[in-house]
Amino acid sequence: MEKRFETILSLELPYRETLKLQRSIYRGGSGPRVAITAGIHGDELEGLYVCHRLAAWLEALERTCPEALLGQVELYPGMNPLGLDTLQRTVPVYDSDLNRSFPGHPHGLLPQRIAAAALAHLEGAALVIDVHASNIYLREIPQTRIDERFATTLLPLARRLNLDIIWIQQNVMSLLETTLAHSLNQQGTPCLSVEMGAGISLTTAFAEQLLSGILTLCQELGVLAPDLVLPEPSHRPLIVDDSKIHPLNAVTSGMFVPALEHGVAVTINQLLGHIVSPFQGDSLAVVRSPVAGRLFTLRRYPLVYEGSLLARIVETPTLEQGS
Amino acid sequence: MSTPALLRMTAPLRDTFEIPYHDIGPPERPPRLALVAGLHGNELNGVFVLSRLASFLNGIHNGNRSGQHLHERVVIIPAVNVLGVNTRSRTWPFDKIDINRMFPGHAEGETTQRIAAALLQVTSQAYYRVDIHTSNLDIEEMPQVRLYAPNDDERATACLFGLPAVLERPINRIFTTNLVHAWRDYGGENFVIQCGLAGNLQTAHCEMLFRGLVAFLDRTGIVTGLTLAEDEEDLRYFGLHQTFAMLAEHAGIFVSRLEVGRWLQAGDSLGHVYDGFTGDIRTEVIAPVAGLLSSLRRQPLLFEGDMLARILTPGESGSQLDLALHGQGQ
Repeated sequence: MEKRFETILSLELPYRETLKLQRSIYRGGSGPRVAITAGIHGDELEGLYVCHRLAAWLEALERTCPEALLGQVELYPGMNPLGLDTLQRTVPVYDSDLNRSFPGHPHGLLPQRIAAAALAHLEGAALVIDVHASNIYLREIPQTRIDERFATTLLPLARRLNLDIIWIQQNVMSLLETTLAHSLNQQGTPCLSVEMGAGISLTTAFAEQLLSGILTLCQELGVLAPDLVLPEPSHRPLIVDDSKIHPLNAVTSGMFVPALEHGVAVTINQLLGHIVSPFQGDSLAVVRSPVAGRLFTLRRYPLVYEGSLLARIVETPTLEQGS
Repeated sequence: MSTPALLRMTAPLRDTFEIPYHDIGPPERPPRLALVAGLHGNELNGVFVLSRLASFLNGIHNGNRSGQHLHERVVIIPAVNVLGVNTRSRTWPFDKIDINRMFPGHAEGETTQRIAAALLQVTSQAYYRVDIHTSNLDIEEMPQVRLYAPNDDERATACLFGLPAVLERPINRIFTTNLVHAWRDYGGENFVIQCGLAGNLQTAHCEMLFRGLVAFLDRTGIVTGLTLAEDEEDLRYFGLHQTFAMLAEHAGIFVSRLEVGRWLQAGDSLGHVYDGFTGDIRTEVIAPVAGLLSSLRRQPLLFEGDMLARILTPGESGSQLDLALHGQGQ
């Protein structure tokens, strides 16, 4: 097994320093390539840990059974290095969302150069998994969101990724065509965008869950030997479209206090939380679930304005509808 | 009469706030013109000029300006991102969302979607609509009208502002979520004006913009009885392939003594890039083409690849790069 550390983009900063976009490569043979990207948003750290866990797993494999790596695994944990180094979601200085900068341009501004370099290096992979961690306001259970235009290719892959939810999105707005996942899928490199956990957080259980799915997929794609014994997947995904997703927005401003733990099953009309005012003792608004399902998105930053997203419920099939 | 508001909203720990606007002129008529600024809270030229224009039009409407008449209804929103102006933030400060990426918005959606929907509802009733921007903190823009995939009426009307340039720009995916794109669904004629540098006021640009808006009111017959200064207007129209973006080949500290709005010859010096540590000149920046200097970098700290300047060329510029890169500052 060969391990390499590469710089895929180098750029001069105003005062002496140089910014480098780097990746690690674990190569066992000429089999297919799988890549993990993370840190496109500088406040999302969950994917960085997934990269570390996958690297640790591969390095353990090197010691025990190096011949089982038939292809190549590439890790891109710091897609927005300046944002990660300075705790900023966007690309610092440009205040630009890197995941709205694709396909980019090799001679453009920094975000566009990162985008172009990433696309050029990821092209041709059997699968790219782009790991996101929601934002600092919300917490998500492991899920992937698939543009229905790419569902034929992506759904069979997503089913094996050991996620809780696969959300097939219809009528995806054209703004989202500027993401890494869209650009890769558009050019024929399958890319699954995974959301899990929360911004500026680390949820190790989610990382282990996703790691298990990544290994399963690596084996299925021929990156890992078929006879290598891997842990059984622990989750079966619920596959839904937009009609089963119920967002709950704040009807007034204040402080949202959830009544439930993130990720639990809820019944119709069940209490999800309250919006309260720090100035007075009574509740300003009661938040209840409009359907039976699962609390798959939950606000973790308590202050809310009117309209702030509090939670999303994914409607689950009832006994009458069958499962 | 109370000041109308786009929307009123509670806030977590301060008073209920609102986004006020001016609705001036005959109330029985639909608005003829909607003027918007301050979608980005740090773009102050438009905020200041629209507030002054509202004062000017209120003066006419209230009969304080002899011989001048306001015949049509005009809606003016000096600042959409009110909290952003008050906290010097480009984005909506609470969740750092760019309101000009939230159109057409949603009345029951996220906070910024609600703001977008309310703004669209009020402004979509007007026939002429203008969204005024002030670039960003890095690049100074000469006052100019920008058109996005325009029709012939818009091409002709854009010249009525009398600003130094009308510039056609393509629509890209990012722009499909901005205000001027959302307006297209409502017909009428839609314009973006770029003017100056964010984070501060440039009074000369403000005066030029104010005069341009007054000229527009006069030439469209919205206001009569005005006496416009007889300035020589040197208006130029630039198509999609008549722009040249100059990008930095080296990082460092960029210093330019030039002013936007001047004409350049090929070979003219725009400034120098210095090594920030040694102080040595790393490169002299030379205009590769002749044309109108419409945009100039004012932020000295320079990354490799940053835009230094944009030159508008009378003929084809020979560069496609600007089209690939456009979008900064709106």
